[in-house]
Amino acid sequence: MREEKLERNSPRYLRGIHRTLTGFHPAIESVLAAIIGLLIGAVVMWLWGYDPIAAYSTMLKGAFADKWGLADSGAIAAPLILTALTFSICLRAGMFNIGAEGQLIMAGLAVVSVGFFSLPPGLHHVVALLFAMVAGAIWSIGPALLKLTRGVHEVVSTIMFNWIAHFLAIYLIGTILMNPRSADQTIPVPSTAIFSKLVKGTDLTYAVFVAIGFSLIIYFILWHTTIGYEVRAAGLNPSAARYGGIKNKRTILLSFILGGVSAGLAAAMILLGSSSTHAMYRLHGQLTNVGFDGMAVAMVGRNHPIGILFSALFFGGLNAGGRLMQLGSSPVPVQMVRLVMGVIVFTMSIPELARIFPAIRRYSVKLVRDLRQLGSSAGRRQSR
Amino acid sequence: MTSQRQNTPAEASKNEYFLRGEGITKVYSDGTVALKEATLEIHPSEIIGLLGENGAGKTTLTKILSGLLPPTSGRVVSPKGLVHFSSPRAALEFGIGMVHQHFALVGTLTAAENVALSHKNPFSRIQLSKATERLEALMEESGLHVPLDVPVEKLAVGEQQRVEVLKVLSRDVDLLILDEPTSVLTPLEVDELFALFKRLRNDGKSIILITHKLKEVQSITDRIIVLRHGEPVGDVPTETATTEQLARLMVGQAFEQEATAVDLSDKELPLKRERKAVDRIATSVLHVEDLVSKSNTGDIAVHGLTFDVFGGEIFGIAGVEGNGQTELVESLTGLRVPTSGVATINGTNIIGLDPRQIYRLGVAHIPEDRWELGLILPFTLAENAILGVHQWDEFKGPMSFLRWGKINQHVRDLMERFDIQATGPGAPAKSLSGGNQQKLIVGRELAKNPDIIVAAQPTRGLDIGSAQYIRDLLVEMRNAGRAILLVSADLDEILALADRIAIMYEAEFMTICSPDDLNREQIGLLMGGVKPEEQAE
Repeated sequence: MREEKLERNSPRYLRGIHRTLTGFHPAIESVLAAIIGLLIGAVVMWLWGYDPIAAYSTMLKGAFADKWGLADSGAIAAPLILTALTFSICLRAGMFNIGAEGQLIMAGLAVVSVGFFSLPPGLHHVVALLFAMVAGAIWSIGPALLKLTRGVHEVVSTIMFNWIAHFLAIYLIGTILMNPRSADQTIPVPSTAIFSKLVKGTDLTYAVFVAIGFSLIIYFILWHTTIGYEVRAAGLNPSAARYGGIKNKRTILLSFILGGVSAGLAAAMILLGSSSTHAMYRLHGQLTNVGFDGMAVAMVGRNHPIGILFSALFFGGLNAGGRLMQLGSSPVPVQMVRLVMGVIVFTMSIPELARIFPAIRRYSVKLVRDLRQLGSSAGRRQSR
Repeated sequence: MTSQRQNTPAEASKNEYFLRGEGITKVYSDGTVALKEATLEIHPSEIIGLLGENGAGKTTLTKILSGLLPPTSGRVVSPKGLVHFSSPRAALEFGIGMVHQHFALVGTLTAAENVALSHKNPFSRIQLSKATERLEALMEESGLHVPLDVPVEKLAVGEQQRVEVLKVLSRDVDLLILDEPTSVLTPLEVDELFALFKRLRNDGKSIILITHKLKEVQSITDRIIVLRHGEPVGDVPTETATTEQLARLMVGQAFEQEATAVDLSDKELPLKRERKAVDRIATSVLHVEDLVSKSNTGDIAVHGLTFDVFGGEIFGIAGVEGNGQTELVESLTGLRVPTSGVATINGTNIIGLDPRQIYRLGVAHIPEDRWELGLILPFTLAENAILGVHQWDEFKGPMSFLRWGKINQHVRDLMERFDIQATGPGAPAKSLSGGNQQKLIVGRELAKNPDIIVAAQPTRGLDIGSAQYIRDLLVEMRNAGRAILLVSADLDEILALADRIAIMYEAEFMTICSPDDLNREQIGLLMGGVKPEEQAE
């Protein structure tokens, strides 16, 4: 009975993500998942005749061993932190927002448009960041309003908004935003708005502090303000939240806006920071998949802003170090990194699997019993 | 025809029974004893009425008979030997089918497809055409007519129920169990259903009918079994049973009348004596006039209720659950917008206000469903302790920062004051026992310093100690001059605590009176929908 009651509280897929493997701390669970992912990656490499130990040591050394490696990992991590937050904030509010990709693209267009005017450095940075945040937020309000007024499921609407953003960007990059000197890309962000390097010779810029700072702000909002309290309450049990005088529609809208702001900042991280050209290409390749990879980061970070910082650094390291894997003494294709990432995401959903096993066992016991009964009753019928 | 029938079950009972439950006991995993040593016999071709209050074990018993639940101990035997149902399908194979209160139909499929679905290999084409053929024959035979090629969601509720019955009949069952089959039907549909029951009985099938409605039971059944607190307290032939007798059996006091009464007022619930201690305050705290509210399905659930609740009194609403109590409570606490009517708290209109505004007016709400409404289970004690009051200045600092220091102190105070057993403010609410969860809710609500406490089923499912503790708290609040609206399906609780009681039946109050004005028998009748003038007859 009690189990049934619990099941009804929130959608099934959300509960799986909040749940942990019996007894383990969520952080340990994430580390376990990472280790299992790496191990399975090693088995695959070994099967295909690569040397996993050499490959991993190249990768880890390249990612975390020295200042430059760490800086490159951090540069990749910065936008991932923010797109992971987009997903996590909405998930905490009970919404499955997979629209980070589209919000990122729209924010990217807003960011490069600061190239149309000149401002002193500092102010130009701020304006670029504001443009990004506002654009991201506006693009996320669409699905939120569809959800609140017409009941359109957010998964469907955010996917559609992603595609609208994709094609709108292709159009705008080819027309209004086109760089007259190089038609396959937009006008570049002027140097007055670009963050300077934190570590020379790497992609890491001061922009990373924006990502870390925003993550801490989200942490404080969610756990130390009434606003965050309401968001989390409504996400976990909407009817109890209503009983507590919380307006669920408001918390949903708010989570989408915060998520959009976060995705917008992610675009700024790339275009004002790590990207070498500081312009968007025709198919916005620098932004592609950053939104979706953010979901994996969010999962491993257990949808907690602090956890996300660490998991983003880990994924950043996988990507930064993975590039070196293909160069070492025993070159391994860089796709292996994505395989490892995939396995990790699967492993993270094992709590769900671990729960399925007892059910399978129970069912098969029942099946055997039924078959036996059937057999014996058939036997009886024959004897009669 | 009837005279011929009347003798058969009695004569045949010794050797010719269809099914017998022997000493069936069911203890749920949370320790609730739903059935205690229930023994009953079902004969071929009879209609049995299963009567009892909420929580008397009716549904549990039928679920065990239909294979949905395994009994904790006891056995089910048939003349052929021991029967063991591992699943509803096994029970169906044996010849027992159940029609639940909430239909198990796929809305987008037609009646024929729904029936085919309950058979093996439902997706084969042959099966479907066979089902249609069979169904047509069956409809002819039973007189149950439903359109076969329309999705069942387009059918009226009565028709949907006919599909459910057809589904079970198509499996050639000998025993048909129906849980509250008439609650969704119009009077005409009820007549049709009962006519069908009689035809089925004459064809040799047995029917168990679960219901709260005394009149229905008496009009259709051959035998009535009354359950109370998990035990069959009566098994009487319908023609000899009087309405009064049944009501008494349902609410207790049938045997050792005196002893039970003493037991209730002196040992278990020592509260009644204190009742006269406080005079109620002359001004009404909650005033309700002509309140009309609809249920989620759009039916009228509260029909023109008018009443006042005064400070210093407990106003108890008794009645079988599902007669509009939930909608009434929701309408008064901001969770449901009434269709029409007036409701004021200390003179301020509350219609259209949201829960937060209503709490500000001095309302505390102990909700009926503690897991669905009262608590956010994954949240900690501290987080749950501020639900609904998190915007109050004690807990909210500048920039809407939560004052965790003060909140944690508040929780520690609550834990001490209300005897909540937990490891600390940081413990998740789901780690608490049911009693402690309820104490947390009650503590949170009483800490609001309310003028009126709306308590819906405040002790349901709790152990005796916690239940008693919460009842004591309610009386304490009443003695302190607060108004209390107590809704409970537990009649003993209402009788022990309430200064005035209203009995709710089908969206209306049957009466509002002092508990001393009525005896249990009269209350039982009122709960079953029998009006006083009818009682007099």
